[in-house]
Amino acid sequence: MKKNIFSTNKVQLLIFLLPAFLIVLLFYIIPIIITVYVSFTPMRNWNIDKYFNVIVGLQNYNRLFSLITRDPVARQVVMNTVVFVAITLAINVLGGLGLALANFFIDERVSTGFRTLWLLPRMTPIAVYGLLWYYFFHGSSIGMLNSIAMSLGLIKKPIAWGQEVIPWGPWSIIIIVNGFVGVSFGMVIFYSALKSIPRELIIAARVDGASNWKLTTNILIPLLRWHLLFVTTWQLLSLLTTYAHTFLLVEWGVVSRTYGQTWALYVFNTAFGRGEQDQGLAAAAAVILVIFGAILGWITVRALGFNKMITKPKGDI
Amino acid sequence: MVSVRLEKVTKKFGKVVAVNNVDLEIEEGEFMALLGPSGSGKSTLLYLIAGIYKPTSGKIFFDDRDVTNLPPRERNVGLVFQNYALYPHMKVFDNIAFPLKIKKVPKEEIRRKVFEVAKLLRIEHLLDRYPGQLSGGQQQRVAIARALVKEPQVLLLDEPLSNLDALLRVSVRSELKRLQKNLGITAIYVTHDQAEAMALADRIAIINEGVIQQVDLPEVVYNRPKNMFVGGFIGNPPMNFVEAGVEYNETVKLIVGEDSVWLPQEYIEILRKLKLQKVVLGFRPEDVLVLKDERQVEPGSSVIRGEIFTVEPMGREVLLTVMIGETMVKVYAPPTQYYSMGDKVFLQINPAKLRLFDPDTTIALEYLVKT
Repeated sequence: MKKNIFSTNKVQLLIFLLPAFLIVLLFYIIPIIITVYVSFTPMRNWNIDKYFNVIVGLQNYNRLFSLITRDPVARQVVMNTVVFVAITLAINVLGGLGLALANFFIDERVSTGFRTLWLLPRMTPIAVYGLLWYYFFHGSSIGMLNSIAMSLGLIKKPIAWGQEVIPWGPWSIIIIVNGFVGVSFGMVIFYSALKSIPRELIIAARVDGASNWKLTTNILIPLLRWHLLFVTTWQLLSLLTTYAHTFLLVEWGVVSRTYGQTWALYVFNTAFGRGEQDQGLAAAAAVILVIFGAILGWITVRALGFNKMITKPKGDI
Repeated sequence: MVSVRLEKVTKKFGKVVAVNNVDLEIEEGEFMALLGPSGSGKSTLLYLIAGIYKPTSGKIFFDDRDVTNLPPRERNVGLVFQNYALYPHMKVFDNIAFPLKIKKVPKEEIRRKVFEVAKLLRIEHLLDRYPGQLSGGQQQRVAIARALVKEPQVLLLDEPLSNLDALLRVSVRSELKRLQKNLGITAIYVTHDQAEAMALADRIAIINEGVIQQVDLPEVVYNRPKNMFVGGFIGNPPMNFVEAGVEYNETVKLIVGEDSVWLPQEYIEILRKLKLQKVVLGFRPEDVLVLKDERQVEPGSSVIRGEIFTVEPMGREVLLTVMIGETMVKVYAPPTQYYSMGDKVFLQINPAKLRLFDPDTTIALEYLVKT
């Protein structure tokens, strides 16, 4: 007699599923519903009593649209986001791949220390890590970059890199700071994937005459295909929504607000920032961001053939 | 085709000595088997020849060319693995073509050569498939094709048949032997399966703990093992060993328990020279006549008394495990007799086939005298 596992013991199943279900419900589903709802209200300054029951339809979306088309600051947010996500994504994926390959070809004992070093930005608390870059890019002569450049005679007086060198100064800073954090993710995934390639395959390629370069391009990278897809999609989505490091850099004045603010940070600042807080508008912007993320994620997955990865292989393995 | 020569080759991994001071010469066109238990260093030896590892000391020559420090791609060897090691993301055609593509051979020539070698291995119809779509036997053919397509100077095979099922193994084995002889290619074949080594090789090199134990023709390795390791490793079941005392009178004979074993003239002379008090008597399971009745023993022949421990009918013969004192030996008996546990039997060893070993060095006495 075959028993259907779903009918065996519903109570047991419920006990196991409940914690995860509650977490998803409490922290994902309910906030999404609230956010979507709030985006249809004129909610501002957290005045819930006054605005929560007022429905204004698509007014917030209309405001957002006209801000993007007319307000140069809002338009810059879009530009910042595109540049930040595109370049940091490239750094995270290609840099992670490069580091993983470097680790793969160097001696195991050396590479362990090397990998730990690259994990430091991820292990360090965000504020501490942000502070390091704060001092590095600081606009006065105490800034490490300034003092190095000045002692080398490259510049005469200190430069506020994130405020004066527009727009590539602030862009470079937020890309570098986030890039260093993200690159270790790709490195860890790619390195473990490289390590799981059977040793014989690599020996076979060597005996077949492949140099390190040919081995990398003909064997290693094609075998990392699914990992590349995963890391690209994952990093794309997390870069679209990340703002913690950038928030600190902007708050501390290392990076110009206009040129350092990405869409995710714009959502945060609009809802929680200084001055008038406009939760209705922020919610609308957040909803747009989620829709954009979903579309981009879907395109990446489609373009790289995710459906092939999850279909059953043909023949026996 | 080249000859391969290893001179005092040693390979250490940290403190572990995987290959210890190996001298070995494989002639042009020869099929050499490297036979040893797992961890004996036979695969390391193969990878040293392929150039995957560099020896800690010693030199490797292809003909008179010193290849010790050359990377694999400058040695032109073909290598076949136990797990096939086909590139999973390439079709069979591209797998076979890969070594040529790396060498930047013109496209037309690649096509011609791939089809040629595919035909030789009868896999033309599989060229358009991925390795995951092939059976184990087909995959191994593709792997052999990939190794052969670059016309290597030496073909190296690392337990290529171990992943195939028993029946397929025997048929691919004979095909491999024909192929090697037809192409006249120098081949080195690593295996832990002594039957495979006996069946395939022109000569067998037996290796244990990184040291070459004996290099000889299969029949010599089988009949005149150089030491107890070789005798105990080759043959299924392997050679039996029984400790024996030596009695020197007008003649020289062995004492096993209460029984005397007469020796052939060759061993009498050797023992008179060596004056050993104890030896190890070695004999193969098939070199024994099992007698159930003392009256069957021919006068003047020597027998050893024993008691049957287990009986295993094998069809063509019966495999008996016999206790001689405290020692267990395995012998083959014809299935025409009925045997049961606890029966007293008399083992008459063919005197021409018995071997004697020095208990201290484990070396066969005749090799001890020669050196």
